[in-house]
Amino acid sequence: MEKQTEDLQELLERLWPEVRRRHLFPEIPTPRFESNPSPVAMEMRNKQIILNLEYVNTMSRMLPAATVLEALLDHGISHYTCCPWDLSTHLRFYARAKEILNEGDLARRATDLFMDIVADTHAVKERQSSLPLLYKSGARKGFEKIICSLYQRIWGVDLGCPGDDETVSRLATIPYLDKRRWMVSLSRFIRGIRPLLEEADSPISDEHTRMGKHGFQQYAPEEIDQALREFAVEAESPEQFADVFEDLQTQLEEVKQDVDEGMGHGAGSPVDANRLYYMKLAENYALPLHKKDMRGSGHLHPHSHRPWEVCQPFQDLDPWCSFGKYLPGITQIWQRKEGQIYGKKEKTPNCLIMIDSSGSMIDPRTHLSYAVLGGGCAADSYLRHDAQVAVYNFSDALAGGREYLPFTRSRSLIYQVLCRYFGGGTALDLDEVTSVAEDSEADIFLITDMQITNLDQTISRFSRLDNRVTAVHVGKKSGALRFIKASVKNQNISVFGVNSSNDIPRIVLGSVRNYLAVE
Amino acid sequence: MFNPFEDFKDFLSKARGLPLDQLAAAHDQVIRELASGYGKLVEQELKSLVWFVEHNRVIEAYKTASEVIKDIDYDAHSIEDFCYVLDNGADIPYLISGPAGIYVAALCNHTSDEQIVLRLGDMQRTLHFLGYRLPYGKSLRIEGDAGNFTGSALQGGEIIITGSTGDWTGAGMTDGKITINQHCGRNTGEWMQGGEIWVGSRIRGLGRMTAGRVYQGGEPVAGDVLC
Repeated sequence: MEKQTEDLQELLERLWPEVRRRHLFPEIPTPRFESNPSPVAMEMRNKQIILNLEYVNTMSRMLPAATVLEALLDHGISHYTCCPWDLSTHLRFYARAKEILNEGDLARRATDLFMDIVADTHAVKERQSSLPLLYKSGARKGFEKIICSLYQRIWGVDLGCPGDDETVSRLATIPYLDKRRWMVSLSRFIRGIRPLLEEADSPISDEHTRMGKHGFQQYAPEEIDQALREFAVEAESPEQFADVFEDLQTQLEEVKQDVDEGMGHGAGSPVDANRLYYMKLAENYALPLHKKDMRGSGHLHPHSHRPWEVCQPFQDLDPWCSFGKYLPGITQIWQRKEGQIYGKKEKTPNCLIMIDSSGSMIDPRTHLSYAVLGGGCAADSYLRHDAQVAVYNFSDALAGGREYLPFTRSRSLIYQVLCRYFGGGTALDLDEVTSVAEDSEADIFLITDMQITNLDQTISRFSRLDNRVTAVHVGKKSGALRFIKASVKNQNISVFGVNSSNDIPRIVLGSVRNYLAVE
Repeated sequence: MFNPFEDFKDFLSKARGLPLDQLAAAHDQVIRELASGYGKLVEQELKSLVWFVEHNRVIEAYKTASEVIKDIDYDAHSIEDFCYVLDNGADIPYLISGPAGIYVAALCNHTSDEQIVLRLGDMQRTLHFLGYRLPYGKSLRIEGDAGNFTGSALQGGEIIITGSTGDWTGAGMTDGKITINQHCGRNTGEWMQGGEIWVGSRIRGLGRMTAGRVYQGGEPVAGDVLC
């Protein structure tokens, strides 16, 4: 047995350069044999293909070992170079499949099958793969028959799979290799195989597909984080994002644990779906940094040389750069320029973001909350200017519906508190808020729908503060009018009204820009 | 001039032609032709901004639809894919449920396939007039919901809807069978002159029938069977 393994290892090392050449030299290390549930798998963490030794041995009884190895390598490399290419694409496929099928396991199976068909077809069309020989051999179970029948039709190769199945006719016209249409193709593919997937005794189990299953564990933690952020932008709602994320959370945590064990990293913290969603979205509204003005110091200093002329004064001559001679045109004279220094030192104050999460506000977990997004934009702007941000998330604060995050520069913590949703009534604990504001001299940023029970006291207290207060209100509420009247009397209060929630990020950004740009 | 890629010219991939290329291209062409035909129908029908359901107008629209599709070679799967193209709205910006449904009905009636399965459950909108004038010998299975006038003027064909239908289901049908696994709306079987309508669950309202039978949950609720 060991001899056989050594022979296969030797064969693999011999074949590998040629397979890489056919695939235009992908940057992946030499594959290895391992006991793996799937015949072939790409470990994205190390970008290494893992071959199932047992499967190769079994198939080698029917086909030359070189053919089996080449076919498996073609399949593995195609996953790396063509489909899914990266976790972001894989995640998009899964999300679309989940949207259609409403069931995580079915969605995973459908996604795996689609990716296998694309990868195999790419290898056969573009890389002269021996995959048809592999599919022609061996017993076929369950869904393998349908896949082989489909391959027979779309590859134009006799795989010994008779039958003109209704399902195959549906699947055969899908443009699998057109990347731009993958999402539409996946929808068509799922429509085609849905009855088979949903059958109680489904033939599409992982054991009944030739290339096994593809999990999300195969990706590196950095890739997972990046892909989730990209998905946050594409997701239709925070709910869809959280739905997909919750399905994959177990697998993603496995990745973190594996890395922790294998590479000695510290303990990972679980990723919060809502926080990630808003963090990524807020990055789309990044404010530019305004440069500080420079002022002349009035002092002249030697800046550069220029040739001396007879009419010019002697005191600026530089004998060290004049070859020891006093000759017009050769002797160098110092050219003086006025220096620049910083004028009055500007500083960005810290910011206390007060966000209303009462029942009248949108729940950020189910729908896109522009209040949270606006708060996030404002927080990001202050953080980028080296200031600190505190968050006061409140509903009925006096009844305990509040969460306060002291001044910090941790973006993650800030978003965590911003995304908190209490529901219920709306009241501010003014003593607490004003003491924080007075102690820190921070800017106050209030985002609310103005349905605050102690609004009059709030306005009165804010008008007595020295801090700059920006209040953003949603809709035309009577409370907003009272705030606006207060802002006319007090220069430290600015009020922005929005008729559409979509305007909140813009208003917030404009306000912050004014703070930071105007002296 | 030095070409830095010269050394790699031998490595250029030799792509192999697969039947998939022709299959996908032919399917795309069919969908384009179907979309073009639908465009002609809409141009013809939408002289005004609103499309009214009037008997003569429906007949006229069906006639136009039958005319524009007569030279298109398509199959039952193309019809389903075309429905999703309509629903998607990217390639065809105007889905008007009435004309669109009549067009799809004309496609079903003129295809050479006798058994047609339309998996429309993932569509955002429902189409009206599905199964309009479906002739004897044809079977149409709709997986999902259908809109108003489903199976209207049915001419002997069999329609199965796995979801629900809207109002006026089977209106004016002369023969054939409509099976609705879930609910159907008002005026079910209005002007019905023959055939059967089987509804699995609730019927919101029955229409004035001339002949034919309507069943609810397996029990007859209207028609000559009660006489």
